[in-house]
Parts: sequence; C-alpha cells; structure tokens
Amino acid sequence: MSTPSFAADQGLASCHTCGRLSPATDHHCRRCGAKLHLRKPNSLARTVALLLASIALYVPAMSLPVMNVSGIGSEDGGTIISGVITFWEMGSYPVAIIIFTASVIIPVLKIVALAWLCLAATGKVGGTGHRLALTYHVTEIVGRWSMIDVFVVAILVCLVRLGTLMTITPGPAALSFASVVILTMLAAMSFDPRLLWDRQRRTS
Amino acid sequence: MRLIQHHPGLPWPRLQRDEKVACEFCDAVQSAPRLREGEAAFCVHCGELLYQNRPNSLSRATGFSIAALIFMGMAHSFPFLSMSAAGNRNELTLIGCVEALAADDAPLLACLCLIFTVIAPLLLTTALLYLCGPLMIGRALPGAKQVARALQASEPWSMLEVFLLGFIVSLMKLGDVAEIQFHIGLAALVAVVVSIAGATGGIDRRELWDRLELANAR
Repeated sequence: MSTPSFAADQGLASCHTCGRLSPATDHHCRRCGAKLHLRKPNSLARTVALLLASIALYVPAMSLPVMNVSGIGSEDGGTIISGVITFWEMGSYPVAIIIFTASVIIPVLKIVALAWLCLAATGKVGGTGHRLALTYHVTEIVGRWSMIDVFVVAILVCLVRLGTLMTITPGPAALSFASVVILTMLAAMSFDPRLLWDRQRRTS
Repeated sequence: MRLIQHHPGLPWPRLQRDEKVACEFCDAVQSAPRLREGEAAFCVHCGELLYQNRPNSLSRATGFSIAALIFMGMAHSFPFLSMSAAGNRNELTLIGCVEALAADDAPLLACLCLIFTVIAPLLLTTALLYLCGPLMIGRALPGAKQVARALQASEPWSMLEVFLLGFIVSLMKLGDVAEIQFHIGLAALVAVVVSIAGATGGIDRRELWDRLELANAR
C-alpha cells in the first residue's frame, strides 16, 4: 500500500458538516455554508475545558440527593450511589447494574478516555491510531446512555405524586448529573480524531 | 462543473467521476468510487467507514420519518402507563414529565427533558421528511441547506431510546408499590424509537448532501 496523501498537506479542508473537500483558503463550505477549518478549532483546549467542567460537576452529582422521597412523617433524599446499594441489597441486581453502569462507569470511563485521547494527540502517551480511534468511537456512542438516570427521575417525579402518602421531587444532583452528561457529549464532539493521526504521521 | 444526469430512482449518483474525499478520521485523500446499493466505502489508510450507499435510501428515510411523526402524535395523545395508589391516579406522558419537573421547581431540568424527548426528535423527523420527500423527485425545497444542518445538529440530542430504557428502570424501581396499567401510548413510543432509528440509519450523510447539491443545481 502506498502512503496516501493528506488533505491538510494539499491545502484542502474537508467540511465538518457535509464532508465536501474545499480549498482551505475558502471561509465557508460552498455546498452547505458551514465554516471551514482544517481541523476543529482549538479542539484540545475546548475538550480539556469541557472535561474539567464535567469533573467539577460530577462531585455534586454524586454527593447530593438525586431525588427526595417524602412520605408520611419521613423525608428521605437518596444519592445515586445509595440507590444502587439499596437495589443490590433488595436483590434487584439488573437495576443496580444498569444504574451503576450508566451513572458511574460510563461517565468516569468517558472522562478518562477523552483525557487519554487528548494526551495521545499531544504525544504524551502512546497508542496506535486504530486503538485510539476505537476508543473515540466507543466514547461517542455510549455517552448519551448516561442520561438514563435523569429520565428515571423525570418519570418518577411525574408518576409518584400521592400527596401526603408518598411524593417524589427532583433533587439538586439531577441537574448536575444532566450537565455532566451534556458536557462530556460536547467534549467528545469538540475533539478532532484527525489530531491523533497527525501526531502519528509526525512521529513516524 | 460537469454533472452526471440525475435519475431519482437510480442508486446514489456521485457528483463527478474523479471526485475525491478525505477521511474524517485520518484526513487521507482518496478517490470516491460510485457504490452500488448496499455497498460501503472504507478508508485505505485507517479503515474507517467513508460513506455507504443505503438501499432505497430516500424512500426509507421518507417512509420511516412519516411513520415516526404519526407514532409521535399517538405517543403524545395517549399515556404510557397509569398508576393508582391510595385513591390517586397518575398518568405518564412525555409532556407530563416536563410539567412535573417544572412544577417541582426544576425549570432547567424540565427544559432539558423537553429538548431531549420532544423537540429534538420532532426536529429530526420533520427535517428528514422535508429533505428526503422532495428529493425523491429530485427537488429541494427552500432553506434545504439550513434544514439539513439543523438535522445534523439535532441528531445526538434526540434521546427517546434512552428515555425508553429509563422507563424500564423506573418500572423496576416502582416494583409492586402501586397498581400499574399500561396504555397504547407505550406501544407508540416503542414504534417512534424504531422509526427514528430506521429513518436516520436509512440515508448516509454524504448521500444526502450530494443529492441536495444536485437538486439545487437544477
């Protein structure tokens, strides 16, 4: 296989929106009108900033109550983790595993993976292009499913309004958690995977 | 620019015979061959998918988006389930969730819920229908470019399938606390999720833009 040539080396920019190749001197894509860039602008800086913001919000998302359950004479605010533990003790293992995966494993792994990709793009850590590309794909596809927790809160708040007997209201962690998911999704979108291959080309 | 004659019924025509594409993942420039229906092109350098020619792409996208819109109407008109306990009866709908959050002093959460479960799916399907329907006779309606960009922007935020999984988890959480009855809205919601997946997976992004460019050039 001969070494292919790369668009950026030829002064061609491929449109982020429609995929058309245009000379990089054009400001807007001739086909779809989107702004043209050789690479997504400030990709690494944006990704890192969004990641830091999501890490900061992950703290209240885990430590504050995600919903308040008020019943006869009692008021109880459970965090996401305490919910998982309750389900585990009750023997509802599937629910415990789904919630634990969606609210702990996926966001944490996603943040770690994106941070790793940023480091790889600056050459701080190694890794083959293929494996890094796979990491990027997985983070992009799996990220949205973390929103499950937020929807569970919305559904329970809608259904469980039994007056003084039992009423569920959203807790402060719900919004923090939704923000974590949105911020990590934006971080994945602002990361440009071509930087990984650029790096490999320069080093090989 | 020389254009290949466009026939709506034929498989996706590329614009020029010598057109080049750059891989979105590694930026390698390569020639873009015309594909038969069902075929896909992969990057010679990194092996990522470049584009694919989905079979009957336009009719699939149009049909599934019409179906999604009809089922969406049903999913909004009928509740998914109702719960009776202690003399109270509560019904679950998408708008009901938004209203409940707004009533409980969580306006931002209510807005997010509205965007993810109502606005983004609706925008996605109407945009797809607005583009692919007229493209079946090789036409593009005014504002097609903006609509296509809105379509791409709304895609990651349409989260009805995540809502559906959240619904299942909630059911398990409620357990046998209350008497639960399922309604026709739930079937409609499942149908919306399936139709949206069929509609967005029905047409390749590059094909959509290529066809729009051809239609605009006429």
